[in-house]
Amino acid sequence: MSTAAPSRQRVARPRPARLSAVDVIRVGGSGLRSRPVRVFLSALGIAIGIAAMIGVVGISTSSQEELDRKLDALGTNLLTAGPGQSFGGDQAHLPDEAVGMVAAADAVESVSAVGRVSAEVYRNDHVPEEQTGGIGVYAARTDLPRTVGAQVVDGRWLDAANARYPCVVLGARAAAHLGVHRADPGTRVWLGDRWFTVVGVLAPNELVPELDSAALVGWPVARQELGFDGYATTVYTRAEESAVGDLQGVLGATVNPEHPNEVQVSRPSDALAAKQATDDALSGLLLGLGAVALLVGGVGVANTMVISVLERRAEIGLRRSLGATHGQIRTQFLCESLLLSALGGLGGVVLGIAVTAGYAGYQGWPTLVPLWATVGGVAATLVIGGLAGFYPAVRASRLPPTEALAAG
Amino acid sequence: MTPPVVELSGVSKTYGGVTALAGVDLVVRRGELLAVVGPSGSGKSTLLNLMGTLSRPSCGTVRIDGHAVQELSDRELSALRASTIGFVFQSFHLAPGVPAIDAVADGLLYGGRPRGERRRLAERALRRMGLGHRLHNAPHQLSGGEKQRVAIARAVLGDPPLLLADEPTGALDSRSGAAVMDLLHELHRAGTTVVVITHDRDIAASLPREVRIRDGRVERDSGVPVGGAVGG
Ligand SMILES: Nc1ncnc2c1ncn2[C@@H]1O[C@H](COP(=O)(O)OP(=O)(O)OP(=O)(O)O)[C@@H](O)[C@H]1O
Ligand SMILES: [Mg+2]
Repeated sequence: MSTAAPSRQRVARPRPARLSAVDVIRVGGSGLRSRPVRVFLSALGIAIGIAAMIGVVGISTSSQEELDRKLDALGTNLLTAGPGQSFGGDQAHLPDEAVGMVAAADAVESVSAVGRVSAEVYRNDHVPEEQTGGIGVYAARTDLPRTVGAQVVDGRWLDAANARYPCVVLGARAAAHLGVHRADPGTRVWLGDRWFTVVGVLAPNELVPELDSAALVGWPVARQELGFDGYATTVYTRAEESAVGDLQGVLGATVNPEHPNEVQVSRPSDALAAKQATDDALSGLLLGLGAVALLVGGVGVANTMVISVLERRAEIGLRRSLGATHGQIRTQFLCESLLLSALGGLGGVVLGIAVTAGYAGYQGWPTLVPLWATVGGVAATLVIGGLAGFYPAVRASRLPPTEALAAG
Repeated sequence: MTPPVVELSGVSKTYGGVTALAGVDLVVRRGELLAVVGPSGSGKSTLLNLMGTLSRPSCGTVRIDGHAVQELSDRELSALRASTIGFVFQSFHLAPGVPAIDAVADGLLYGGRPRGERRRLAERALRRMGLGHRLHNAPHQLSGGEKQRVAIARAVLGDPPLLLADEPTGALDSRSGAAVMDLLHELHRAGTTVVVITHDRDIAASLPREVRIRDGRVERDSGVPVGGAVGG
């Protein structure tokens, strides 16, 4: 004892060395490398959750992007005005001079109109009367395409000349229903108990879908031959982009100064955006399901880690005998858990992007996965890995070395 | 004068009601090679774990390489094991699928040396154990004797002053066992202090010092042979 006392002062207390970051990751990964199937399966659980969430966010972002592009192309500056109910409850009509009044208003780029004609259109004169196919006949002003952005895919639009004669231009759906694929002088349809020649077919137009199922004839011929009363039923107005909101407020009064309340004004691009908003509710639900899947994946990782610690007691004891501290054992298993779930997270991000790209490609949309979703997904997996691995890691580090060694 | 490598005084260890060690005094000086023998359950492994700082005594003092174990925190004990003590176990504790050189290199993982150096030392230690041709073999490709030599290489690659072996030949046939004992002798000649637990009377008899344990007490200690204790 007497020799030991002075020696105690000489000896410096031992200090544990730090593991380098590379060693921490290597050691954490070593437990994964030896159990590839289990690692794959528990990473898959996380991956499915992340992929579901990335997919939902990606698909809804892509469809939003598609909508934005579409609105960019179609313009959000189109307003429609139509007759609502009169105060007495009967169908009101717009005044004769409505189009002219709108055209004279400030900030209006162009105006056009159609008027409903109470006639039906059929493929030929043998079709039973009730089979109208929902196709409405309208008198259209010749300046309609410029205002609504209608595209003629075949033939041509109505002009001052043929607007006087029994000529018709069909919307895309109407053409398909009537079996018309080409507009040529021989193509005729039975409209208002007489033959009309199809001079043009329109492309589908999402901003004014009512034109898709319309048969459009000239204003003069409608009045002369089809008993059209000459009142516009929808006035289409393109306004300067910056003034659309203001104009929307006063359009009713402009169209019908005497009964502004009888005028229904709407902005078709709003309807498109509203459709998108209903999809958002569904996205929220799917996102929730993805979160549940992710949670289940996290439980899977926790389970894998608990089993891993139980199975590797001998390894833990050995590492302690080699000089690992509590903390280093804890770090090892925490790192293993983080790597495991990060693996799942990265797999899930790749899978989610693939799902988004696949679906968007199928729909003809641009593929867009927001960076925040990708980063958020990986960050979420790290949080999950940390939570799932915490308890097993603490247990591993608390294992007494002798007991751990006895297990092997 | 350097302190003894191991110094136990009045050391007891109880597990609940079971007394595994009762008042053991033992001094192991630098450069010794000794056998710890005794019947099963007599407390040999318990003694070795105390010498290896893997557990703390219930009472008495344990001093390893001059450090009083009761004064050190768990972190400090870990550091002491990393720098001072090498362990060899009856079951080799080699992770499946890990090549010998990597398993051995992990012997210095917690010593704070860079990986390249660890691997270089591992290769040297394996060559020293006569396993230069087995560097990249996984445990399932090695014989029992080879596995134990890998485990010894892992224990000694940092040149720890103290090597503790708990029945290192227990799982080996007599020829592999003899090869392992030859290695331990060689390490002893090179200056390492070696404590070997063994059931094998012949092995025990072949070592310079024999400590016999029974019922948790030192029953007989052949003592430090003349000239054998003077290390550095
Ligand atoms: N963790 C423990 N908990 C309870 N009792 C224990 C524990 N470890 C050892 N013992 C008891 O302490 C006594 C000594 O055990 P120890 O393992 O040291 O014996 P041993 O001499 O190494 O035996 P063997 O030759 O069979 O390995 C035994 O009675 C054993 O049951
Ligand atoms: Mg034992």
